Amino acid sequence: MARERVHPNYVGVWLWLVALLIASVGVTTLPVPTGVALFLIFGMAVVKAVLVALNYMHLKFEHLLIYAMAIVPLVIFFVLWLVLYPDIALH
Amino acid sequence: MSEGVKVEERMSFFRTYVFSIDHKMIAKQYLAIGLFWAIVGGLLAYLLRWQLAYPDTEAPGWGFIGPEFYNMLVTMHGTIMVFFVAMPILLGAFGNFLIPLMVGARDMAFPRLNMLSVWTLALSSLVLLISFFVPGGAASAGWTGYPPLSAKPIYTGVNWGLNLWILALALEFASFLMGGVNFLTTPINLRALGLSMFRLPLLIWMQMTAAILFMLSVGPLIAGAVMLLLDRVAGTSFYLPEGGGDPILWQHLFWFFGHPEVYVILMPGLGIVLEIFPVFSRKPIFGYRPIIYSTIAAAILSFTVWAHHQFISGMDPRLAMPFSITTIIISVPFALMVFAMIATLWGGSISFPTPMLFALGTLAIFLIGGLTGIFNGSAPVDIYIHDTYFVVAHFHYTLFSALFFAGFAGLYFWFPKMFGRMMNEALGKLHFWLTFLLFNAIFIPMFLLGAGGMMRRIANPMQYEFLQPLQPLNAFATIATIFLLLAQLPFVVNFFWSLFAGKVAERNPWHANTLEWSAPSPPPHGNFDTVPVVYRGPYEYSHPSVSEEWLPQDRPTMPTATA
Amino acid sequence: MAQTHVVATGAEARVASGIATGKMGVWWFLASEIVLFGGLIGAFVMSRLGSGGWSEMAAHLSVPIGTINTFVLLTSSLTMVLAFAAADKGDQRGIRTWLLLTVLLGLTFLIIKGFEWRSEIGAGFTPMASNFWSFYYTMTGLHGLHVLAGVVINFLLFLSALMGLLRGREHRVELAGLYWHFVDVVWIFLFPLLYLSWSKGGH
Repeated sequence: MARERVHPNYVGVWLWLVALLIASVGVTTLPVPTGVALFLIFGMAVVKAVLVALNYMHLKFEHLLIYAMAIVPLVIFFVLWLVLYPDIALH
Repeated sequence: MSEGVKVEERMSFFRTYVFSIDHKMIAKQYLAIGLFWAIVGGLLAYLLRWQLAYPDTEAPGWGFIGPEFYNMLVTMHGTIMVFFVAMPILLGAFGNFLIPLMVGARDMAFPRLNMLSVWTLALSSLVLLISFFVPGGAASAGWTGYPPLSAKPIYTGVNWGLNLWILALALEFASFLMGGVNFLTTPINLRALGLSMFRLPLLIWMQMTAAILFMLSVGPLIAGAVMLLLDRVAGTSFYLPEGGGDPILWQHLFWFFGHPEVYVILMPGLGIVLEIFPVFSRKPIFGYRPIIYSTIAAAILSFTVWAHHQFISGMDPRLAMPFSITTIIISVPFALMVFAMIATLWGGSISFPTPMLFALGTLAIFLIGGLTGIFNGSAPVDIYIHDTYFVVAHFHYTLFSALFFAGFAGLYFWFPKMFGRMMNEALGKLHFWLTFLLFNAIFIPMFLLGAGGMMRRIANPMQYEFLQPLQPLNAFATIATIFLLLAQLPFVVNFFWSLFAGKVAERNPWHANTLEWSAPSPPPHGNFDTVPVVYRGPYEYSHPSVSEEWLPQDRPTMPTATA
Repeated sequence: MAQTHVVATGAEARVASGIATGKMGVWWFLASEIVLFGGLIGAFVMSRLGSGGWSEMAAHLSVPIGTINTFVLLTSSLTMVLAFAAADKGDQRGIRTWLLLTVLLGLTFLIIKGFEWRSEIGAGFTPMASNFWSFYYTMTGLHGLHVLAGVVINFLLFLSALMGLLRGREHRVELAGLYWHFVDVVWIFLFPLLYLSWSKGGH
């Protein structure tokens, strides 16, 4: 079955992933307030995850339904997180 | 044959009946597992009801039932009915049997994964069965397994029984996760030519919704169950306050799944009713697309209502109002579906064979169950009736309608297709009327008991002075239970007798439209002589263009004469 | 009683949605896994917030080792997707090479994790030591089980490739890859959650 599959620059993506990894670790050594540090670290984690999802898992080229299968579960467990917050985080 | 069909070698007994990858055989295996556990679950109900009516006496045929044994009875009755009867029968049996046939496919998308799923359930069943025989007995912390009671063996006196319970549930979840992959992929991808999504039978939409609900809600409970097991055997304190843990965390993780789970059970039941009503009213479904949109809306909402099970758990009180609101809202799509069902019947040319009787029974019983749910969903009212028999009556009305009435409706309806023979009508009608009357006799008293304050899960109501005047209701319910169990005998006799000596069934004995009725009864491997092509939706009954009252989906359209 | 078994092939294998059936199956499975890890991680995050942060305990995790392990897993994702690229071209030798590398990197991850656990337990940080450690072992343990499953799948694929059985079935590499990348994404979040959120001490 002939397939015209587009292949993004996998090695390029990997370089970004490694750079973001080093940067996240680096943030912990910087004299920034806690909130800013956490925001940066998890922000970079989200970017890394999106890079892997869009490029390595080819979400960029996939049908809308597959996007939905990836995103709807995220929304669902965020609802759980929202409700757990007052009960568990605020004891 | 010109469709690229490949015929393989003849198969052994084992490959045909034991290690089968044919969805129809797998469906029957699920059915067998479900019916076995239904008998066990029913017997447990008899024993626990005996204890409630005649506390601390000897149950006929068994012996003495004390409080600890009672806790086990209640726990296992609930666990078995939800996870080992309802899901195997409604999803495993009906889903597996009907999905490929109704979409015009030769089998599920992943037949070997399908076989693995039923074998995983068989393993899970074995683990649960063993749990009855280990020292300390089977699980006894309620089907909801709340810690701290469930988290430390010393609290229940049950050690391996609860560990095996957790393990059995984990395997059951894995089984239905695997099944879910097939249930979703097959209707999306293997539909016959001409079968668009909006020409699918509603049962397929319901099964798909149930599968999505299950797959997206069970994850946190799997995580939570691992944590509970670690608390029990590894000395962790995820849920133990003295170790810094929180019992309410379990409740959230459990009910986050537990609530969608009840719709996982309900949706396939409603799907069965929605298939049967048009056939025996000779009318199309009223509101096909609104029903689908309501189903989707209810599914989405079902992820936002779960803490209505926890109104008096000690959770943050500010959560009570949002969850009350979402719970009241979720009654709207279901109300719409009920109205659509009634409208489907309205003005129809209705006949009352056994499947139709059970389908009508489902609607009636579900209506009561749904209405009483509204009482529970409102936090102020729930503060009084939570953990009383009002709740027990409510969920038996909803679950029993979905599982037993709809399940029997489906069994009587598709028996000819599954086994190639007709069931006996007289026995079927007897079975229906006895079940319908006796079910109400058991559970209407429970609304009264609950409103009167009788608590759940107590082994001896006579210990409480304020409950003693209500005891006749308990006795009445117990006697009705015994008769309800006996009333299943006509079905058992009918089922087995018809398997071997029932009238041989034709392809389409009910004159219905959906694709499974185009296949032989029972269908062979590969289902269809030739893969169908679909020309219309599934509910073209009493169509003006044909003289018969039914118009199958795969009958080619006749060229129309111009007026 | 023996029966003939009829199998549908070729034109019968319609794909009504336009998405390959195997790929859809794997994504449905991944959707359920997203909620599984999401639920577990959520329980951890909320418990952490409710318990004052657990910083002193988390300080005992080794950031250098965690970083190296993250690097190992990221790289294994690269080798996995390169195996897929090779599969798409029908390059059997490329498939074998990249799959083998992925397996080895996956094993490396597990071995390093094993050593980490051993030294932590040796220092007295058992799963029972505190709720932080309970969550740590549960989350990395569940993730590790998923890594192990992935290593096994990839190794079996590698063996099939060696035996020439992957010809005509190269799409299986893509499917295994989807699962492997998912396992990587989970770790992308576990690493900062466990190792980096407390390095500054006293959060």
